[in-house]
Amino acid sequence: MRLGKLWLRLMLVAAIALLASSRLASAQETALNLDGHAVNPLAADSGKVVVLVFLRLDCPVSSRYAPVVQQISKRYADGADFYLVDPDKSDSPQAIRKYLADYGYRLPALRDPKRVLARLSHVQITPEVAVFDRNHQLVYDGRIDDWYIDLSRARPAPTTHELEDAIRAAAAGKSVARNEVRGVGCYISDLE
Amino acid sequence: MNSQGRRAAWAIVLAAGALAMGVLSAKSAPRHAPQAASAGAPVTFNRDIAPIMFRSCAMCHRPGEAGPFSLLTYSDAKKHARQIAEVTRSRAMPPWLPEPQELKFADDLRLPDAEINFIQRWVEQGAVEGDAADLPAQPKFVEGWWLGEPDLILNAAKPLTLPPQGTDTYWNFIFPVPIQQTRWVKAVEIRPGDKRYVHHANILVDSGGTLRQREAAPGAGFGGMEIRIESQVFDPDSHLLFWKPGTIPYVEPEGMALRLNPGTDLILNTHLQPSGKPEVIQPSIGLYFTPHPATKLPMLLQLENDAKLDIPAGQKDFLVSDEFTLPVDVDLLAIYPHAHYLGKGIQALATLRDGTKKTLIHIPQWNLNWQAVYRYSEPVRLPKGTTVSLRYVYDNSDENPMNPNHPPARVVGGNRSSDEMCHLWLQVLPVNFDAAQGDPRMTLEEALARHNVDKNPGDFEAHYNLGSMLQAREKLEAAIAEYEAAVRLSPEDATANNALGAALVGAGHAERGVGYLQAALKARTDYFDAHYNLGFALAQQNDFEGASQQFRLALQLQPQDAAAEANLGATLAQLGRFPEAKSHLERALQIDPNQPIAKENLDALPKETNPR
Repeated sequence: MRLGKLWLRLMLVAAIALLASSRLASAQETALNLDGHAVNPLAADSGKVVVLVFLRLDCPVSSRYAPVVQQISKRYADGADFYLVDPDKSDSPQAIRKYLADYGYRLPALRDPKRVLARLSHVQITPEVAVFDRNHQLVYDGRIDDWYIDLSRARPAPTTHELEDAIRAAAAGKSVARNEVRGVGCYISDLE
Repeated sequence: MNSQGRRAAWAIVLAAGALAMGVLSAKSAPRHAPQAASAGAPVTFNRDIAPIMFRSCAMCHRPGEAGPFSLLTYSDAKKHARQIAEVTRSRAMPPWLPEPQELKFADDLRLPDAEINFIQRWVEQGAVEGDAADLPAQPKFVEGWWLGEPDLILNAAKPLTLPPQGTDTYWNFIFPVPIQQTRWVKAVEIRPGDKRYVHHANILVDSGGTLRQREAAPGAGFGGMEIRIESQVFDPDSHLLFWKPGTIPYVEPEGMALRLNPGTDLILNTHLQPSGKPEVIQPSIGLYFTPHPATKLPMLLQLENDAKLDIPAGQKDFLVSDEFTLPVDVDLLAIYPHAHYLGKGIQALATLRDGTKKTLIHIPQWNLNWQAVYRYSEPVRLPKGTTVSLRYVYDNSDENPMNPNHPPARVVGGNRSSDEMCHLWLQVLPVNFDAAQGDPRMTLEEALARHNVDKNPGDFEAHYNLGSMLQAREKLEAAIAEYEAAVRLSPEDATANNALGAALVGAGHAERGVGYLQAALKARTDYFDAHYNLGFALAQQNDFEGASQQFRLALQLQPQDAAAEANLGATLAQLGRFPEAKSHLERALQIDPNQPIAKENLDALPKETNPR
């Protein structure tokens, strides 16, 4: 039954929230903003959908998606908060800031050196995204769209738009069709 | 008085991609199988994987090259280990499209199965580093220009700013070549700009400067995937000048060199892919000269069948073929197949007279992004009577993810990236010929032109090109018939009208030629050749006033043309305007001290005592 699965996710979210708010937890066990402060993007009770976009600075596929992600985030700014998440602990905040400037990103970026958000989101590849509904339950994880077929071929334009479909459904409080397809790009597990 | 017929107007129409000197990637280290790991022994980076990376990956995956990240150290490889396993398993990397075959290609990048298995095992076993003592030395790569400082460096006048987003861009940079006399080029290094964003680049030789008119401003460059160049003369300096990631400059073998005449432009046709941020692309070209003119003259044979490309929406296996029987013995040096995004399977065969078939190339899964010139390790002898054939299969269904149309739509042959193409270039060197019989390339070219007319009797270009070839071989009446067919098919084409007019004048029918030359000028007022040829035709009919006007118009377009200047002087002398004639004849000799018409007329001037 559907509720059982959702409950499991709730537990996970709660566990993270606890970590983030616990004085005992070291900063290293949460995601960090570029100033080094612990941040839990799912803690705020904004009533908005939350979208995590996972990227690697050395991944050409996630880089090519920068304008696409920026445009989608603008289109749904009223209903969703977007965060970029970098799971590579060797990337310095300075390197990430430079990357954001180069690629014209205006979204907040988080470092996820312990992969807390990556695990929570079930993502494996950059660029993949996770969409959390207004109650901050994970409702979608997978590719942004079907632009890339594999690492050597991309379509002239995507023909499916999984991320946007998920955001719209989640913002409207509807259930999201859970037909996740993995992204094409660079493996998070290859990182240290 | 004497005047000189123009090197008339042979205009061989070449499609893009036609010229080039094969530049292919090369290996930095000799191939040897990984030392390791007989069954059961763990695979390590230092012993088993590093030799593969250094030989087959690092030439692109290093700073300044095309790869998006480096693969020079263990930590480089570890950070992409699963990705490497995936792309080697699928053979997406290293990029190499042809299947293995009997006729070997130079610089084959295909990884042996055993090496792919090593990589899979390495990753499955946790991508371990291994014993430092096993690590081979990092490959050494040349810094800067690969062959040393070039004799001439050409820089793009204006960079292109590639937008962060959008479909692939095809951009052409024009490089005027500042040389004062004919030079012979032994090697070319193409530096296409930031190599991470350039998929491939091709140099075309524009000897007439005809493409400059496509630039919005001088040096601005112009867009377009496939470009066409009209060549002024039969001048098939047929070299494949091609760059793809990993290319190192190729030095032409003994006896071969590319001729560059003054006034030539090199056109760099680039295929660029947006990266997510704006990129500035400013290519340059390094030329290496040799004092030795070419003694071996290769030629590019083009098989094609674009006319058959009318692919219904949804069609999965649309076959297009072409075949051509060689009229002379040749050595096949290199092969360059070309299709766009619907191309699926590409195959070229040679069928010898005894029925033996040889696969020249077989690409089961075409990918435009990794198109390349393939050079054979050894020249492939194809005797006279061998039939070369191509079979291309196109997929215009939704199952082809590269399909530019979604949902699929009818696609026909054409120059845009959303059109389709069916081309195969073969770089061949005629062998075993009798030089007294003339240039064997002309025999080849004429046979090919005739083949194209037979294939497409309603094709303007086929008739035009056959006419050009016949004219080049001094079969004027036959050339006139082909040009007439071309003009019938395309009555307002400036080039064809000019060619027909020039051929008629050359065959002694000046009065019939004038009308076609006037038609050419009606279609294109700034057409130097047509002004020149009309001037010549009018002079033959003793209309020296009209002739001098045409030569003046021609000189406005090309002030440095010695022949036009000499002919203007000659017509003015005919009109009795000696001082004026003298100054033009002298100017012709300033431009070209050996201009024969100018010399002859200048010598004759003082004796002209009784002008008409």
